[in-house]
Formats: sequence, C-alpha cells, structure tokens
Amino acid sequence: MRVQLQRRLDISPRQTFAIRLFGAGAALLLAGVVLKLAGRSPVAIASVAFATTFGTRIGFEEMLTIATPVLMAAVAVAIGFRARVWNIGVAGQFSMGAWGATLVGLHFQGPTVLTLALMAIAGAVCGGLWALGPAWAKAKLDINEVVTTLLLNFVAVQWVVWWATDMWADRGLGVLSATYRVPTEIPRFPGAVLLHVGVLVPIALVLILAVMFRSSVWGYEVDLTGGNPRTAAHAGIPVARRVITVLVLSGAVAGLSGMIQLAGAVHRLSGTLENRYGISGFMVAALAGTSFIALIGIAAFVAFLLHAGIVLSTQAGGITVNVVLALYGFILLAVGVAEVATRYRLIVQPAAPRAPPQPVPPGGTS
Amino acid sequence: MNTLANIMNLAIAAGAVIALAGIGELLLERTGVLNLGLEGIISMGAATAVIAAQTATTPYTALAVAVAVGAAMGLVFAVVTVVFRANQVLSGLALFILGVGLAGHFGSSVAGSLPPVIFRPVVVPVLADIPWIGRAFFSHDPLTYFAFTVLPLSVWFVLTRTRHGLNLRAVGEDPAAADAAGISVMGIRAFYAVLGGALAGAGGASLSLAFTPGWSAGMVAGRGWIAIAVVIFAMWRPGRLIFGSVLFGALISVSFVAQDRNWNVPGPVLTMLPYLITLALIVVAVIRLRETRTSLAPAALAEPFFREER
Repeated sequence: MRVQLQRRLDISPRQTFAIRLFGAGAALLLAGVVLKLAGRSPVAIASVAFATTFGTRIGFEEMLTIATPVLMAAVAVAIGFRARVWNIGVAGQFSMGAWGATLVGLHFQGPTVLTLALMAIAGAVCGGLWALGPAWAKAKLDINEVVTTLLLNFVAVQWVVWWATDMWADRGLGVLSATYRVPTEIPRFPGAVLLHVGVLVPIALVLILAVMFRSSVWGYEVDLTGGNPRTAAHAGIPVARRVITVLVLSGAVAGLSGMIQLAGAVHRLSGTLENRYGISGFMVAALAGTSFIALIGIAAFVAFLLHAGIVLSTQAGGITVNVVLALYGFILLAVGVAEVATRYRLIVQPAAPRAPPQPVPPGGTS
Repeated sequence: MNTLANIMNLAIAAGAVIALAGIGELLLERTGVLNLGLEGIISMGAATAVIAAQTATTPYTALAVAVAVGAAMGLVFAVVTVVFRANQVLSGLALFILGVGLAGHFGSSVAGSLPPVIFRPVVVPVLADIPWIGRAFFSHDPLTYFAFTVLPLSVWFVLTRTRHGLNLRAVGEDPAAADAAGISVMGIRAFYAVLGGALAGAGGASLSLAFTPGWSAGMVAGRGWIAIAVVIFAMWRPGRLIFGSVLFGALISVSFVAQDRNWNVPGPVLTMLPYLITLALIVVAVIRLRETRTSLAPAALAEPFFREER
C-alpha cells in the first residue's frame, strides 16, 4: 500500500470551515484531557457551565452581554483579515473608543438618542484614529502592524487609567479608580435585567459587511489586496489606500464597541473596562476564517466559555481567566495546523504487485 | 550614586531581557522565521524560574529550568511552523496567548513572594571604582554581563564570519536556493526556533530572578513585543540590537527614577512613554533606511518554505 500526500490547489470555504472546527474540537478535547490529568472533572465543569449559562435567565443575559464586545472585536479583526492585515490592537482601540464616548457623555447631555449618537461617533472616531498610525506605517513603510497595534494597547490602557484616576476621577465612596457615572445609557430590552439593545449592533454590522464584501467593488478590491497585493497593484487598485481604510475601519468598529460597552453595560470608564475582549475576538475571527456570518455562532460559543470561566472561577477548583487564555492558545495552534492540513489530500493507493505477473492460464480470464 | 549613573546602571539591567530575547529573535528572523510568541515565552520563563527557585540551591538551577521551558516552547513553534508550515503570525500569536495564560496559571502559586535564590550583582574589582561610569557598567548580575558581552559578540562572529552564518542568512534570504545548495532549510530554521525560545526563557529568568525578583501577573508588561520592535529598529543587526536594548532600558529606568524621586509627572504617562518612544524609534529608523534605499529585512521573512512549490 502506498500513502502519499498531494497538495490541493483549491480549497472550498466549507472544507476550510470544517477543518477549523475540527481543530478547535481537538484542542478542546486536549484541554479536557489536561483537566482530567490535573485531577479535575471536565464533565462536571462542563455541566456546571451549561447549567449556569442556559439554566437561568440572568446567566443567559450575562452571556449575551459578554458576547456583544466579543463579536464586535471579532468583526473588527475579520475586516482586517480580508486585506490580510492583522489588527491585534482591538483592545487599545476599544479603550480609546470608550474614552471618546466618556468625553462626550460627561460633558454633553441632550436628548438620549442624540447623545448616544454623538457618543457612538466619538467612539468610532477615536478607535479609528488609534488605528491610523499603524495603518499608515504598514501601508507606507511596511512596518509590521502586529507589533505596532499591540504596543499601542499598552499606551491606550495607561491613557484611560490616567483620565480615570486623575481628571475625571470620581473620588466618592465605593468607586475604585473609575470616572463619574456617564448619565446617558443604552436602553435595555423590555423586561430584561441586563441585556441592552446594543447587542443588535454587531449582528447588523455582520450582515452589512457580508453584503458589502459579496457585492461591492470596494469589497472585491479589498479581497484582491489581501489575496495578492502585487496582482492588485497591477490591476490598478490603490493597495496602500485600501490597507489604510481597512485598518482604520477595523479600529472604528473596535472603538464603537468600547462606546457600546461603556453606555450599555459599565457606565464608568476605568482601566479594567477592556476585559480581554480583543484577544477573544481575535480567536473568534481566526476560527471563522473568511466568513462573516460564522462569526456570530463562534462568538456566542466563546462568550459561553468566558461566562463559564467567570462563574467557575468563583467556585472551588474552578478555572481562571488564565486557563481560558491557555485554552485559546491551544485552539489557535490547532487551527493553524489544521489550516495547513486542508491544503493536502491523503492518497492511499492499493499495493502494486511486487512479483512478476503470473502467466495467464490457457483460456484467459473470463 | 548620582542620578545619571543610577539611570545608566538601571538602563543596562532593564535592557538585559530585551537583549537576551531580542538576540534569539534576531537570529531566528535571519533564517526567515518570525516568532511573535516571545511575550508568552518570556512570561513562562519568568514564572517557571521563580517556581524552580523555591527548591533550588543556586539561581543557575532555576535559570536552567527557565531555559529548558523556553526551548520546549521554541520546539513547539518549530514543529508547528517549520515542520507543518502553519501560518507564522497566527502560530506566534497562539504561543503568546498560551504562554501568558499558562504562566499566570502556574505562577499564581508563587505570586508576590521573594524567591529564596536570586541573581545578585557581581562587582568587577578595580573597574567598578572608575568614577562616574564604574558602578553603571561593572555592577551587574552574571546574566546581564552575558547578555551584553559574550552573547552578542559570539552571535556577530557566527553570523558574519563563519560558513554556518552564511548558510543561516541564505536560508532567510532565499530558501529555495539554499535548499538547492544542499543546506537543510528545515534543520536550520528549527534549530534557531529552539535557540530563540531558550534565550527568551533566559530573558524571563533575568526578569524574575534579577531585575524585579519574584513573579507577579503582568510583570512582563509587553517586553516580548518591545524585543520584536527593537529587532526591527536594529535592522536585524546584533550591534544595533544591543544599542536598542540599552535605549529601551534607559526609557524604563527614567520612569523608575522619576517615580522614585517624585518628578511630578503622572504615573500613567511615565508608564506609557517607553512604548510610545519605541514605536517612534521604529518609524524613524525605517524612514532613514528608506532614504538610503537598502532593505535589510530578510527577504523570506515569515514565508513558509514549500519545497514542492519551487
């Protein structure tokens, strides 16, 4: 028997998606084995996670509230992926967006809808501007955008901490390193305890982007830029300009997410506002590949993991945010390997006869 | 010690981790492989060094553990990106998240306590008595001396004066040609991925056993990313990398000294400055390079090598 690996020339999106899910599943299984070896029961952990998330109404609302910034971050990263630009600075753009929204929210109080709209614009503009520097450096100077966007995360956090503990600090009782409460809030769904209507924004964005990349010239040009920048340049596409717009748009989405989190869920700006949503969104986008629609389901799943992590970390022998991060790492490594695996086809051929062929008996084979 | 000598001494001590991890990254990038997971490896090195120090009798045992852990993570990266040829950016980011998560998990058991064994400064006799610069340069722990003398000199020699160095650079510039010349592209890349991991592990140990002894969550604070940025600033040359490491160390130490002496600058501003200035330095370095029109980045950087695609 002969086993051979043959390269595939084209891979359907469905194959890619299936193999990514397989990779994520394998990593989760591996994590279960590790938990088992560490003396924990993965089945018990999973059942507690399910019960607390889907068993209670408040748990379910909490999960969706976490899913909102995760899906927003995933959308931001996924936009970059289309032009093969890696935006690892979603956390920083998110923080700057929240800062911009706070700036408006603390100093302007008009009708709710108008104030919210201005806050949203401020958030998107601040997030977009925060991505402009790395975008320019990438497009004009070919400086790796992973490094620049990531380093700016550290700057953004310190910026927010500065304002939250100094200029806008609420020194009232029970407030820890946070600003005054922003009075204008995103309304909740009727009857909901936590869930605000901001959860609809990322879903709407996903649908708009899916249509834009399917049927607009701009989307096609961005895809071409991501596929092969040299070909795109020969076809007359302004590659540098497309790269800059994509990264700034990505930053604007992240900034808008910061505004939604602030006005919908937290209401006070602080250094802990960005609760690893950026990194979670990155993993969601990496799992979804090039599909925008797939982001929604995967973000919900990751929000489930995060919510389970929060609930379980307060219980004895539970899992902490660090374990969740390690799990992300395992999943991403598995996805990276699985992605390569899709490029190959396993060919198994039956054994070729080694011995010289036997003389055919008279009469031949019938 | 006067303020300037104090800043200089701190700058060198703070730059050691950048020099150690940066040299490893520089070598690996010269073979055409980009490892963005440095931050995760340094975190793991720092955490495991403190854990090992609990039962070790000398800091060298703890250092050896951190180096072994770093090498193991480098090996994982080599298997994923060099053998399986997975996307290097994605795999590096995976290693970053994995390392930070695991280090936080395992480190929490020893967080906040001073390790029983740490590296202490070794004062060089005679030289340390030179006024002004003596204490700044000749009162450091052994790992820092190694990071700024033996390591860069041997790397410079191997890279520019030996056949192996030529092969290494060939693999990073044109792997197909190197392969045709009989050089093992996979072997060289895998070796330097492991070596880079080991050096980043050592960098973590220098952080948690010498510079700021002990483990605390978030103590690495982006130094892995700074190291990658400094490699770009250095234009992939070991000499400039050492310069960049001290420069970054100086930025860190100025903010240390400023906080210590109440210079009346807000703390968050002091903390964010090293990152901002590092970014500015890369941009300036690249713009200046553009004027001379020589690109020094390895041509095959971050490109997986598929023999069958030649």
